[in-house]
Amino acid sequence: MQVLLDFLRRYNYLFLFLLLEIFCIVMLVRFNRYQGYVWLTASNEAAASVNGVYQDAVAFTRLSEVNEQLTSDNIRLQQENRALRDALRDARYDTTYTHRCVLKQLQGYQLIPARVVGNKVQVGMDNYLVIDRGSADGVTAEMGVVSGGGVVGIIYLANVHHSLVIPVTHSKSSISCSVRGQDYFGYLQWDGSNTRTAYVADVPRYAKARKGQVIETSGFSSVFPPGIFVGRVNRVRNAPDGQSYRLDVVLGNDFAALRDVSVVATPYKAEVDSLKARAERLELNEAGAP
Amino acid sequence: MFPTSLQNGFWAITLILLQVMVFNHIHIMGYATPMPFVYLLLMLHSHTERWIYVVWGFAVGLIVDVFSNTLGVCAAAMTFLGLVAPLLRDAFMPADRGEDGITPSPRSMQWSGYLRYAATTTILFTSVFYVMECFSFFDVVRLLIHIATSSALTLLIICSIEHIRQNVVRG
Repeated sequence: MQVLLDFLRRYNYLFLFLLLEIFCIVMLVRFNRYQGYVWLTASNEAAASVNGVYQDAVAFTRLSEVNEQLTSDNIRLQQENRALRDALRDARYDTTYTHRCVLKQLQGYQLIPARVVGNKVQVGMDNYLVIDRGSADGVTAEMGVVSGGGVVGIIYLANVHHSLVIPVTHSKSSISCSVRGQDYFGYLQWDGSNTRTAYVADVPRYAKARKGQVIETSGFSSVFPPGIFVGRVNRVRNAPDGQSYRLDVVLGNDFAALRDVSVVATPYKAEVDSLKARAERLELNEAGAP
Repeated sequence: MFPTSLQNGFWAITLILLQVMVFNHIHIMGYATPMPFVYLLLMLHSHTERWIYVVWGFAVGLIVDVFSNTLGVCAAAMTFLGLVAPLLRDAFMPADRGEDGITPSPRSMQWSGYLRYAATTTILFTSVFYVMECFSFFDVVRLLIHIATSSALTLLIICSIEHIRQNVVRG
């Protein structure tokens, strides 16, 4: 204590100086407008700087919480974005002329909406599709599959919840088609050169086929009803045998971008199939009779 | 002691009056303003307590401020000078100053020593004064010109006062 008192006594002038200087500075900023303004500005800047540092520190401690919220928001927005994109795509899709025509042709048929969940699209290879509807939804083998762009293919295998579709871009696909407005028909096949094109073989030479005419299903099978859009004639060529025409067709569907499809449940398919089976048996019996 | 205090009082009143009524209105070339009241700290005896320097400086500065409408500026500069003046005085004073001490003057310190002492204190005072008055370093060149010219003019007046006092003593 004594040391402290000695110290204060010895350096009293220093404390006196500090006291008087503070008093002078207070007078300076209090009674002089310019100095007061400069002081106020500087002190405000300093206070703002300190407050900024404090706010940064507080914000830093809350980064974890903000990050969680941002992640949650991001996921929600991604889902919203996806839903909106789907809705937009559906809205655009429904308005196409072809889709409306297809739906018109399919009136009276049971349609099972499905979504493509697996898609192999490759030039030169046999392609296939997997849809998210199976036997549990009423899908069975050899049902037709259509989309807004027209014919897609035929169900090959039906599992409980999923089905395998052989599209028209498969070498074993063969769908009975005709030129719109004419009764001549042929079979739609794929040569593997392009996933957007196929050809209709065995069209009689007296059929008046031209470029741009519409190719649609003939309805001569129990799979597709007649009049479903398939594509448009791009070129008319002679078949290799020289006895018929071969029509190159630009398909209505882009299989690389296929998403929403419908499975066509033909109401009389079982009846037609039963008649066909009986006819085949009769042919066999007649062939086997002496 | 009494005559010395009386002399100091006379010089204090004279210099403060001159400062308020005359020197405050002098601005040579818009820069140089003499402030010879610094002399009131220079003329204190070497045995003066340091706290008296500080209080005396503050008092003189405050009085000048009150009459010059610069409240706080001169007081702050003079208080600062009150703190450092004894150190400068001891630095420039001759080592042999006797038991009774001396009053800083050309006669006791020689002209060279006294000039260095006066010049240093004046420059320090004007520096602090103009820094407090400008309160920013926005225009440093202008600030330095103010300090240099005002210091030179103040020093000239202080030397004149000392010359007058020497002549009075001789007379």
